[in-house]
Order: sequence, then C-alpha cells, then structure tokens
Amino acid sequence: MRKTFGTSGNTGAMGWFFHRLTSIYLAVVLLIHFAVMHFIGDGTITYAKIADRLASPGWKVLDILFLYTGLYHGLYGLWNLLEDYIHNSFWRAFIYFLIAFGGFALVILGTITIVNFKKIGG
Amino acid sequence: MKKRFEIFRYNPETDKKPYFKSYEVEVYEGMTLLDALNYIRWEIDGTLTYRRSCRSAICGSCAMKINGRTYLACKTQVIKDIKSDHIKVEPLPGYEIIKDLVVDMDNFFDKLKRTKPYHITHKAPPEKERLQSPEDFKFINEAADCILCGACVSACPSSWAGKDYLGPAALLKAYKFCADTRDEGADERLAIVNDKNGVWRCHYTANCMDACPKDIKITDYIARLRNMLVQNKL
Repeated sequence: MRKTFGTSGNTGAMGWFFHRLTSIYLAVVLLIHFAVMHFIGDGTITYAKIADRLASPGWKVLDILFLYTGLYHGLYGLWNLLEDYIHNSFWRAFIYFLIAFGGFALVILGTITIVNFKKIGG
Repeated sequence: MKKRFEIFRYNPETDKKPYFKSYEVEVYEGMTLLDALNYIRWEIDGTLTYRRSCRSAICGSCAMKINGRTYLACKTQVIKDIKSDHIKVEPLPGYEIIKDLVVDMDNFFDKLKRTKPYHITHKAPPEKERLQSPEDFKFINEAADCILCGACVSACPSSWAGKDYLGPAALLKAYKFCADTRDEGADERLAIVNDKNGVWRCHYTANCMDACPKDIKITDYIARLRNMLVQNKL
C-alpha cells in the first residue's frame, strides 16, 4: 500500500524543537521591535528613522534572522494545523510544497530587500 | 421537582439517523445522572442503552456528554451539579456509536496496548515485592489516577483529525510507566511514542485536561514525555 504523503520518515521531533527555538528568538526580537518602534524616543514612525535602522549592518543581521525565524515558525505552525485535516496524499503534497515554495520565495525576496536596502535622500 | 432529559438515541439496525428523545423524571437531592438514566431504563423505556458498572467514579464506563461537557454520569448530581431543568445527554464525541450512549472503544484500547501499559522489568524480582519510596511515587501519583474513561480522547481535536494519533490517554499511560522507578522499559516505550502520530502530534490544545473527570493535567504529562525524549537526545 502507498504511504500517505508526510506520514512516515522523521518523527517530527526536530521540527518541534526548532519551532520552540525560533519562538525564543521571536519573543526577544518582538520586544526589541516594539520598544524601538513605539516606546523609545517620541514614538513617531517616519521613513528617515526606519531607513537609518535598516541601513545599519547590525539591524540587517537582526532583521534577516527575524525574517527566517518568523517564516519558519509561522509556516511550520500552519502546516502542522493543516496536516491534521488534510488526509488525501495529493493535496497534502500540493499544500506542503505550496508552503515550502512560498516560504523559500519570501526568504529570497526578503533577503535581497534587506541586504540591498539603502537610504534614499541621505 | 421534575427535570427534562433529552437523550441521544440511535440504533444503527433500525434507525436511519440519530434523534433525541425526551423523558421527564422526578429528581431528588443527591440523585446522580446515572440514577436518572437507570430510572428511565427501568421504569420508562427499557430500550435505552448505556454503559455503567461501579457507580463510584472508578471504572470509567459512564463518561458521556452532558449539556455540552464531558462528565461521568455516576459522579454528576442532577440538582447540585446541573442547574438547568433541561439536561441534554449525548455519547462521547469522536467515537463510532454502537447504540444510543454506547461508543466503540476498541480503537482507544488498541492504542493503549501499543504503549505497553504494564511493568517491564529485566532484573530478577526481590524476595518480597518491588518497593517504591513515597518521594518516587509523587512522580506518578496523579498520572496513576486515570480510569480510562476515554473523555480526554473524545475532547482532543488532534484525535478527531488523525485516527492514527495515539491520543492523550495512551500517552499519559506511557508517561506513568516511564516515570515509575520500578519499571525498566522506558526506552522501549519512548521509542514508540517518539513518532509523528505519537507525542509530537499533540498541539497543546489542553482540551483533554478540561474534559478529564479526575482533573489530571494530561497535557503537562505529555510535555514531560517530550522532555524525557529531549533528555535522551530526541
């Protein structure tokens, strides 16, 4: 009998482990994000302020990691919920690759955007 | 004082689909829902079918859905515990129905057996008995309270969705034996629950804890099983 897509192979332990690990990073970075955006300084959000941050290498590293961990955490969670309710092997494979491809495309797009970002107008 | 009992009825041999039948019963202080069901069966309608045995919240036979929540019929008093005059009684959700309030528990017990719910020992037995200190017993005290009523599995969305998922009762039992200092089969059992349809399928919805008539913190014990696996290097 053919196996249903995604029901054999790994135990799911590592997926769960990284889900927990990324949640720690996300919690810390979200706190930094809220503090910097809304509570430090006068609380106004302008292009100049954000552009200054995004142009600095430290923030670029922080934001790229934010992008990767956020995408992994969110998409892993989404697949985990969906796979409970999708039992047809074709649709499981289709949605899994849709999520994986979508995630990969966002990783590439986000990385290019963050790495190449330069402040316009000094 | 009278209360109206609306009871789920279904006989697959004669009924095309399930329906609810209403019965009016004179209730009294201290009367349990099981007493009311017995009254209906013995005095009004002998065709009503349900499981019961011990009447003391020990055997786990009479778990059912009462006004939308899972309770043991023998532990639920119809005046003190249920304020409404209208009592809706349904079988445990998530199981195949055999007849009326009786559900098919075969799958439940098959999954339980898969986790080897018995002591595994390799050392020769001592002269008298295998002793356990009160301190060590504390690890399994609450988990050992499980009466296998199946309420947790019926409340678990992961169990509804995946027929192969071991489910909270089997995982709790696996924890109970893995954490028992007299047992030597933890590695065997952990290898069984370390699976997509084992301990990693739980999404921490915690419905099982809500449904448990013994108030066992089942989700916490599933987390402890995961901890054991992490300690053993995933």
